[in-house]
Amino acid sequence: MAPGSQRRTELLRGVLDLCLLAVMDEGPAYGYEMTKRLRDRGLAIVGEGSIYPLLGRLERDGLVETYRAASNGGPPRKYYRPSSIGRATLAVGVSEWRAARDAVDAVLAPVKVEVAS
Amino acid sequence: MSDFVEQCRQEWKRLNVPDPLAEEMAADLASDLREAEADGISAEEFLGSSVFDPRSFAASWAAERGIIPAPARRGNRPLVLVAFTALAAVAVLVAALLLATGEPKVRAVATSTGRPGIAIPPVPFNYHPGPGRLVLRTASTSASASAPVEWILLLVALAALGFAAWLWSSRGRSHPPVTA
Repeated sequence: MAPGSQRRTELLRGVLDLCLLAVMDEGPAYGYEMTKRLRDRGLAIVGEGSIYPLLGRLERDGLVETYRAASNGGPPRKYYRPSSIGRATLAVGVSEWRAARDAVDAVLAPVKVEVAS
Repeated sequence: MSDFVEQCRQEWKRLNVPDPLAEEMAADLASDLREAEADGISAEEFLGSSVFDPRSFAASWAAERGIIPAPARRGNRPLVLVAFTALAAVAVLVAALLLATGEPKVRAVATSTGRPGIAIPPVPFNYHPGPGRLVLRTASTSASASAPVEWILLLVALAALGFAAWLWSSRGRSHPPVTA
């Protein structure tokens, strides 16, 4: 894996649970549907496992509620939505993320990046 | 891709995942993979590197759900390492104290047969062992080849401390501090 890609993966790993909670907070979703929502926002999950183990952990920790329902004409799927604890976790996590992002921005902002043409 | 799902199913069976849960996960996975394929997304794009290791993927998913115990990690290592480091540090201190105070007068000496012995403070009689026997000699009678036990202890303790430092550094490399 290229160094840049690896850093991106590691950065994403720390907030992927928040991203999943955020997209399912927009409306209940099954596994693949969540990856589509993430991809639509430019967040492709490549190279570092998949969302299933993470969804499993969210479920085990009581951060999501699940139910089975038929998808659009397809087989029944397992839908996820944040529980009340999950929403609270999302709110706290978003605050932490913004604080961390602002702090890192403050450090990196003066760095001039030359883009090779 | 049915092969990938099938390998996951086998792994769940091997791990004694209850059949209804295994079937549920397999069905969800198969449906998602079919939908991804229909959208022109490859299994590798969807599952990442997991697609090359279905057994680990299946075990990880089941463990994260709490269906099976999490795989044994190296969580006990720090405790052992801390204990080892503390022991080595104490040994260094003890050796340093012994060297500083000069007590007790204990020496390891080389006998005429070349085998090591331990020297202790004077004994009230003169004992002459045969060849190849371990010898206890007083410090005052030790030869120039004698090595104070304190120095040996210090060297061993320092080596142990160095080894502990190496273990800590290797652990730091394999467990980066900033991880998700």
